[in-house]
Amino acid sequence: MTDQLTALTTIFTEFYYWVTVVMMFLIHVGFCVYEVGASRYKHHQHTLMKNTMVVPLVTVTWFFFGWWIYWAFPTGPGIAPSIMNESSALITDESTFSARWYVANTEFMAVNLGDRISGVFWAAFLLFSWTAASIVSGAIIERITTFAFGILAIAIGSVFWVIDAAWGWHFDGWMLKILGYHDAYASGVIHAIAGGFALGVLVVLGPRIGKFSSSGEPRNIGPRNPWLVTVGLFLIYTGFWGFYAACNIPIFDLGPEYGMEGVTYWTATNIYVTPTTLSGITFNFLMSLSGGLLAGYWIAKGDPFWTYSSGLAGVICASAGNDLYHPIQAMIIGMIGVVISYKLHYWVERKFKIDDAVGAVAVHGYAGFIGLIICGFVLNGYPSSGYSVGAMWDGSTYASINPLGQFLGAIIMFGVLGMLPGYIIAKVLHGMGKLRIPREVELAGLDYEMMEADKEAEKAVSTATR
Amino acid sequence: MATVTNWIDHLSAEEVVGAIYPGAGSSETLLVIVGIVLWIGWHVLTNKQESEKLESMARKKRGANDYKSNITDW
Repeated sequence: MTDQLTALTTIFTEFYYWVTVVMMFLIHVGFCVYEVGASRYKHHQHTLMKNTMVVPLVTVTWFFFGWWIYWAFPTGPGIAPSIMNESSALITDESTFSARWYVANTEFMAVNLGDRISGVFWAAFLLFSWTAASIVSGAIIERITTFAFGILAIAIGSVFWVIDAAWGWHFDGWMLKILGYHDAYASGVIHAIAGGFALGVLVVLGPRIGKFSSSGEPRNIGPRNPWLVTVGLFLIYTGFWGFYAACNIPIFDLGPEYGMEGVTYWTATNIYVTPTTLSGITFNFLMSLSGGLLAGYWIAKGDPFWTYSSGLAGVICASAGNDLYHPIQAMIIGMIGVVISYKLHYWVERKFKIDDAVGAVAVHGYAGFIGLIICGFVLNGYPSSGYSVGAMWDGSTYASINPLGQFLGAIIMFGVLGMLPGYIIAKVLHGMGKLRIPREVELAGLDYEMMEADKEAEKAVSTATR
Repeated sequence: MATVTNWIDHLSAEEVVGAIYPGAGSSETLLVIVGIVLWIGWHVLTNKQESEKLESMARKKRGANDYKSNITDW
């Protein structure tokens, strides 16, 4: 770089994303702490290791093929033409944002003086991928094998959520053009899909031993360490700040980008390259968090586990439109999402005997789904993109945000790319006898042998005289 | 293997070459293949390890509260 202003803008953007990555790391720390707090003593260490292995497994597969999928699949393929090359095929040509540059063996996937953004942007998306896999992890604790979870984590973290991101988050995504889909901070793109995926897996996996009585009545297996759960959820809240910032482009000149002759307009934008402000989304993050906490405290009658989870659900529900909502709209939407998700959780548990150990399907899946639908009404008529404004189903222009498009988008996220693949992969793993741990091990506890070995060692140490 | 041997020459070239890692331009595909083998190999090895451990634990048929005798008191 030879121009100082370009250098400053570039290195600021590089540093901005790097900071968001470090902040988002706290989401994973939070999920690990939270899951350990929610699991029973005899399963603690296994629960921790299962979720910890999300980090290397999703990272390496994200490097090998996940990042490529994001850049290759915005057109479907075959659903709507790209605005870069006007083709509906996979985007693998020579265009600027082609997947060609993100194949694992290209020189841009490494230290490169000519590209200071790819690595940090790759990492920001990778942290979203960990989150998607971690959401699934909590729901299925205490009875899944680590092998099966590893496969499922890669499927949701490096394949299915990336496809939905290419379709509904990428500035060239077909869902923006055909449906007018809008999901600025990932109500559907991360949360609804991961919640749906978890539900698909839970249907096959079945409940923990003892969760339901012989007459089918659900029993509460509450968190064994509420303080760890508290710290975990506070860490997830904290990391969520980084998540919001990472979904923005920090500084961008929209004048030339939109082809506006002679216009210069520097601003932060959301992921769709439409203007918003970091300041505005900070209002909305906090107000939707507060709405969730207020509603959660009321609906759960002060239960700490659900109150904390409801704060998260409030943010998740408002996230689709938090780039544009008024803060009080964000708060009310957060409240609505929490009440419906809470009721749905217990209805599904009772009706279908689904044992979602941490309420992940409700907090992420249902709240995300509801948030997408509400966004379609509240932001009805806003453009889904700055590049062009068109009609639904057209495909070559961008449809405006609308209730039907958001509803169909929610179905695609939760059902088509979430629940269905989760169910199918779990079925295959179950067919191989690899999905669930043996009943005897579940009863004894996954940590039994580790605890036994520790006891012997500690006994020896406690009686040692030299 | 070294892609850069003199920073002054490298940065004052008419066109600065961006990739500066060892083996740039010649080793990437091999590295990816090695990486994929290591990744798949990890699944194979740990799956075997986990299956053996679960089978062995299942054979012992311990009770739901037996783990409590393993909790140390110090």
